[in-house]
Amino acid sequence: MDDYVDLRLGQLLEMTAAEAPAPGAGSAAALAIALAAALVAKVARSSRDSWSDGPGVAAQALELQSRCPTLAREDTDAWRDALTALGGPDGTSGREAALAQALARAADLPLTIAETGADVAGLALLAAERGDGSLRGEAATAAVLAHAGVRAATHLIVINLATQAGDERSARAERAERVAASAAASALTVEP
Amino acid sequence: MPTERATPHLSDTELVRRCREGSTEAWNELVERFSRYVYAICGRGFGLAAHDAEDAFQEVFTRVYARLDTLRDDSAIRSWMAQLTRRVCLDRLAAASREQPVEDVSDERLERTIEEIDQAFAVREALEELGEPCQELLDRFFARDESYRTIGEELDLPAGTIASRISRCLVKLRAELEGRKASTPPSGRKR
Repeated sequence: MDDYVDLRLGQLLEMTAAEAPAPGAGSAAALAIALAAALVAKVARSSRDSWSDGPGVAAQALELQSRCPTLAREDTDAWRDALTALGGPDGTSGREAALAQALARAADLPLTIAETGADVAGLALLAAERGDGSLRGEAATAAVLAHAGVRAATHLIVINLATQAGDERSARAERAERVAASAAASALTVEP
Repeated sequence: MPTERATPHLSDTELVRRCREGSTEAWNELVERFSRYVYAICGRGFGLAAHDAEDAFQEVFTRVYARLDTLRDDSAIRSWMAQLTRRVCLDRLAAASREQPVEDVSDERLERTIEEIDQAFAVREALEELGEPCQELLDRFFARDESYRTIGEELDLPAGTIASRISRCLVKLRAELEGRKASTPPSGRKR
């Protein structure tokens, strides 16, 4: 499967709803952020006449959007590896090492998803404040969607078996979550 | 011991002139400047394996050395080298297909790939012209996929300002690329 980008939306939803473990929560978070980035690009592109940074913000939003399908697919792969490792024979040192490695990877990816989402939320706030006023709803929706993705990815890190209290990844994800939450709250209150 | 490059800021035209005069430094610079370009055409354009691309690379530069006097417009060195590389790669593929079937490379796909390679090199050169901090900012964000937070920490900049800085750098990059298009032939280097 190449990054889910060749799927029709209906197929993707069907795969997500299926009993198979993947695509699961991490992929859904990444794809929500991708949608948010696409909305930011729409606002920025539509505002190029009135917002000098519009084209630059659109380019950045598209760059962030392009990272998300890859993150979604990698998250799927990481979970598949973790589940395979979990199903290995108990008590062997090889199994423990493979499991630790697989779980660590499964926690690293949501962190990248969370930080990507925080960047998208920041761009969405810029779009809400400086973009075309008629598209403020799109910008605010982008900020909220991005925050949702960040919030979900942060939660996945916290509940991951490899994440201990005080883990640097949790701290970084929670920082990203605060940034995204603040951006979403501000984007929702931008005056027309 | 590596020798210091004394000719990196020469235009393509000036570089070719010095190569014709027999300057070893200029020749080394020409190889340095176009080696990645030639490799990219061999690899991405024609899908040659590493050892075949290496052989093609040697052959291309041997032909360039032997035929440089036949180049009519010195500023067109890049497109001339692209043509030479194409011919060398096609010869190699034709020779290989006599021994075993190889995947056909369509003209249309090849043209598109070479166009993409040209664009990528033009952007890379324009980035070099922009200098810092734009070169590093754009490279970190668009090539290395770094987050604003990581970029801010690495470059000691407030994370909240990175997006605006990148936007301003993109404006400069666009102006540089448009300036190059307007003032130089397609294969030339603006200096």
